[in-house]
Amino acid sequence: MLSNSMEFRPRNYTAEKQAHALPRSRADGHPLSAPSSPPRHQVEVVDDGDTDYLDPLRRSDNNAAVSIEDLEGIEDSSASGLSSEASIQNPSKEWVSFKRSLMQRFPVSKTVLTSSMSDVIVKGRKTFDKSSTNMHLEELEDPEKFAEEGGKVITGQEYVSRLHELKAEINHTWHADDRVTSLKLSIKVAKLLMDTSILQCYPTLFVLATDIMDMLGDMVWERIKLKAELAEDGTKLCLLPENFMASDICSDAKETCNNWFSKIGAIRELLPRIYLELALLPCWRFLHDRPLDCLQRLVMMTRGLADPLASAYCRLYMAHCFRKLHSHDIGCLLTCVNDFKILLMRVISAKETFHRKLTENKRLLISLMEPTIDYIMKCIFKNVSEVNDVLVELGLGSNQVELRGRFPCASIILHHLVKQLPSQVVSSSAMEIIQLIDSSNDDSYDQCLNYRLLGFRLCERKSEMGTVNAVVDKIIQVITQYEGLDEYLKVVDAYVDIFLQNHMDDHLNSILEGISNRACSQGIAEDELTTLQSILVKLLSYYEDLQDVIAMTPFLKILDLMHGSSQSIVNMQILDMGIRNGYIRDRTTIQFLFEISQALHDDEIFVNVKDDSNQAARLISSFVSLVDYGGELESHLTFLVECRAAFGSIHWLKETLVHSSNCLAIKALKDGSRHISFIKSCIAFSEVTLPSISAQTKQLNLYLETAEVALLGGLVSHSDGLIDSAINSLQISEVMDGSRTPTDADGILSSILKLFSLLVMVPGNPEHGVTFYPKNLVSLVNSQPWMPPRMRVKIFCAVVSLLAALSQRDLPYHADKGKLLGNDILFFGHSLYLSELALMCKFVLQNLVDTIQQEPSKAARGSMALEACNCIASSFIPSQEISSICANLIETGKSCMGTSHPYLLSTIKFTDQLLLPSIAV
Amino acid sequence: MSIELKLSRINRVYRPSELVEGNIIVKSASSISHYGIRIAVDGSVNLQVRGGTAGVIETLVGAAKPISILNKIVELRPAGKIASGTTEIPFSMHIRQPREDNLEKFYETFHGGNINIQYLVTVDISRGYLYKSLSTTMEFIVESDKADVIEQPVSPEMVVFYITQDTQRHPLLPQLKSGGFRIIGKMATQCSLSDPVSGELTVEASAVPISSIDIHLLRVESILLGEKIVTEKSVVQTTQIADGDVCHNMTLPIHVILPRLLTCPTVSAGPFSIEFKVVIVITFQSEVAKLHSKSDPTTPRLWLAMETLPLELVRTR
Repeated sequence: MLSNSMEFRPRNYTAEKQAHALPRSRADGHPLSAPSSPPRHQVEVVDDGDTDYLDPLRRSDNNAAVSIEDLEGIEDSSASGLSSEASIQNPSKEWVSFKRSLMQRFPVSKTVLTSSMSDVIVKGRKTFDKSSTNMHLEELEDPEKFAEEGGKVITGQEYVSRLHELKAEINHTWHADDRVTSLKLSIKVAKLLMDTSILQCYPTLFVLATDIMDMLGDMVWERIKLKAELAEDGTKLCLLPENFMASDICSDAKETCNNWFSKIGAIRELLPRIYLELALLPCWRFLHDRPLDCLQRLVMMTRGLADPLASAYCRLYMAHCFRKLHSHDIGCLLTCVNDFKILLMRVISAKETFHRKLTENKRLLISLMEPTIDYIMKCIFKNVSEVNDVLVELGLGSNQVELRGRFPCASIILHHLVKQLPSQVVSSSAMEIIQLIDSSNDDSYDQCLNYRLLGFRLCERKSEMGTVNAVVDKIIQVITQYEGLDEYLKVVDAYVDIFLQNHMDDHLNSILEGISNRACSQGIAEDELTTLQSILVKLLSYYEDLQDVIAMTPFLKILDLMHGSSQSIVNMQILDMGIRNGYIRDRTTIQFLFEISQALHDDEIFVNVKDDSNQAARLISSFVSLVDYGGELESHLTFLVECRAAFGSIHWLKETLVHSSNCLAIKALKDGSRHISFIKSCIAFSEVTLPSISAQTKQLNLYLETAEVALLGGLVSHSDGLIDSAINSLQISEVMDGSRTPTDADGILSSILKLFSLLVMVPGNPEHGVTFYPKNLVSLVNSQPWMPPRMRVKIFCAVVSLLAALSQRDLPYHADKGKLLGNDILFFGHSLYLSELALMCKFVLQNLVDTIQQEPSKAARGSMALEACNCIASSFIPSQEISSICANLIETGKSCMGTSHPYLLSTIKFTDQLLLPSIAV
Repeated sequence: MSIELKLSRINRVYRPSELVEGNIIVKSASSISHYGIRIAVDGSVNLQVRGGTAGVIETLVGAAKPISILNKIVELRPAGKIASGTTEIPFSMHIRQPREDNLEKFYETFHGGNINIQYLVTVDISRGYLYKSLSTTMEFIVESDKADVIEQPVSPEMVVFYITQDTQRHPLLPQLKSGGFRIIGKMATQCSLSDPVSGELTVEASAVPISSIDIHLLRVESILLGEKIVTEKSVVQTTQIADGDVCHNMTLPIHVILPRLLTCPTVSAGPFSIEFKVVIVITFQSEVAKLHSKSDPTTPRLWLAMETLPLELVRTR
């Protein structure tokens, strides 16, 4: 006979667990334990000063901190060092990118060219007319064209577009077989380069004009090559090999080539003549096999250009054309650099009376000339096999492998030389370079930047100890004399790595002292902050232990003097360092880091960044969670209280705080029951902190966590309150927004399920009745229209399971190892208790069955029905009612999933197993 | 109906011992009957005195008689017919008869101001009295025979020059005179026509900034006119070697490519002579100079210093 009522199935959880547990065997090692030595030990190996050891990661980190300008340079040089082969293969690409960077560095668009510039166009025309009669070239195309532009003020943009037009015109006339006009226009373009009156525009003019020169050069080359390859009647005679000799060229082609050179040779003005001859330089190969001789002559001819800017850029074009010859003989480039030196010396020492223009624009002029020196130096060192020969040629070296420091050299040239020197030469001749830098202190380049560059170059590879010591001594001597903070910092920044790698602690202290003295008296300017930041970050990344940093008094002083984002970055670095090694136990460290965190928190920029990716906030949170006061739990709690007060604006720190205080409570619990008041304070702290957490899911979880902790501590009323709050927060969160992602829903679902598992342990409140919370939750679920049937079914199943569990003589688990009384002890056997559970259960079952039918998706509906069926079958003693419910659910499953679905089959088997024996009775 | 001459060499350069070869190209819609096709080569020195340094009397006397170098006419075809369409008639003529010993009179082609040495080839197709004869003329260029030219100067002699305030025979700006300047250099004074004029120059000192240094190539044409020799100098080509106030004590190269046709080997014949000179002109920066920008660059001025050097041009193998 089947009873009509619903009765919960009695369970023996211990026996079930044993029956279902897999056999276990002992493992030899923990699967997650570290392979051999603990990491702490490794760290010490590094710290113990194996001086040969260079951490590659740290090095790159240091470089990253270098100010961008220098970084570019260094990377350039190292890149060119590495890929020198590749770049020889593709000098034209390199030239293109160089031109682009040149135009970007000195943009023209804003400058408005005054009539003086267009005057030049007119002037250029006149001189052209005059010389053209001598040259027996035909009359220039319509002179009116330029005269029209003469009086006007034209903008840089117009000027640029006019040059583009000219290029198109030259190209057009050439292909229309009017090569004479092509050449004439090209000469005219080259003549524009004679005018350097508007300094700022010159690089752009140069780029555009040399573009045209290159184009003309290519066209002439192709034409003569074609002449050499074709017979008079147009048939192909031969194909010139890449490395042809002058003897391979027929006299016709040579004649044409000669004509071109005579036409160019007839140009009266020096500068356009040089440019055009450079453009046609490769064509010399048709005439003889030593085109380099011509380049050598052109180098000498360039000396005739007195204008420093014009001659610098002319040499730049020369270096570019040199590379077209694919030669490795850099003699002429060296001559160029030497001539450059003389030129620069003249610019630097220019007297007011003679070169007023020069002194006025000296700075601008030198900055405009800088890229040309840079490029020529690069070309030299790209092709160099014997560095020493180069140095000798430049008047800087002797025949031995050492530099002589006796010759003064324009410091800008020295800068680019040091930049390009191979790093082994830099480290082996460091002292000689220092002497050179020392002796070349002129206006062309800031001396301290040369010292700085040397420092960076020395960092590229390990130098001999003796050299390092000598260099460092000299540098210390130099910087001690610097009064300004800026130069001091710039130099120190480059050498800080050397100090650190070689354990020069005395020097380190003295430079920190030096920085703090200068910073105290002058304050720190914005750009100085950046350099200072770079220095401090390097310093921090070198040390492993924060204690060593705190021990340096000047360091803290400097830190105090800093401000703004630089300070925050350094602070973050310190914080990162502090939390790197796990728990923080030292009181002074905690205090120090707390202050650092406060400073970070107070930084305006930091406060304004509210998003979750805020690294500083994350660091502070990590710091708070890693603080460990050991046995002094009270102090730890006090610390948490302080943190809550101090870091109010960091939202997720509150989560850390609640979590930490919960941990504290657990710690106290483990210690014994004598801390009950402390645990209460912890719970109270959490209770107060929790409402201000804004992330709903997190808040819910933390409520549950705290409730559990309270329960473990035997604080039933607290846990009741917390569970209440958790349910309330659920309610509020539902109200808050309707649109939520499936992940959110899943999170909430799992939190609710967690709540049910917690409720197993919570003793029923006699005032509210034992089913108070489940009832609340069911009504909550029913009042939430957004919850999908899938979620409700899961919740209802969980309620059924909960109620079934509560009906047992022994609960599956207890809070606090059974010390706290559970419902089994309190209520088991009370008929009222059981009927209340059953009543509740009936209500829930109805809800469950109804909800399944609401699911629109067939497959989901089937699977939900089977899930519910499993749950019901395992929770109740078989009865008519239960059997019919199960049968209905299986029917639903069948209709939705088909009869052969494995889930269906296993469910049928399971249900039959549980229900049939009773039916048979 | 058109007639055209086409020489065998694109650059039209021939040597006296060689044959001038080419084609006569006649294009016609109908056939042409003619009384003979004649080809003529003609070379002459034309002397003319115009303006310049010549005096009134010389101008009145006018051009001296042209000196004929060569004048040959050959009948290529006897009277006959030329078919319609394009007809090519090849020709070849000796410039100088072999074993003829008049080598010195074959001057090289030269186009100067007063002296013109020119070689022409003319074709003439006469068509009787009723029709205008067809004819066309083309210039060809004569360069000295490779076999006849002198050996390349073994060691080109370099002339050393000094330009200082004391070497100048014209008045200078007071600040130039008092401050002084010193430019030294050297230059080859004998030069092959196929090579550039080469040398070097160094500014050692200059109290006044330099504005430009230019090398002017000068031709000196002299004509014997009656009892008088009329000489005229003119600038053929200007080449700047320094632009602006160049660094002192830096050697600057002198490198001047000689223009073709406008130069020829230095000639000194009886009735005329062609010589060349190089003038190195240093222009100093001066306010006064700006007012005279259009003047002849080789005229002595207050702000100029100059040095004239002879230049013997030769044809080498």
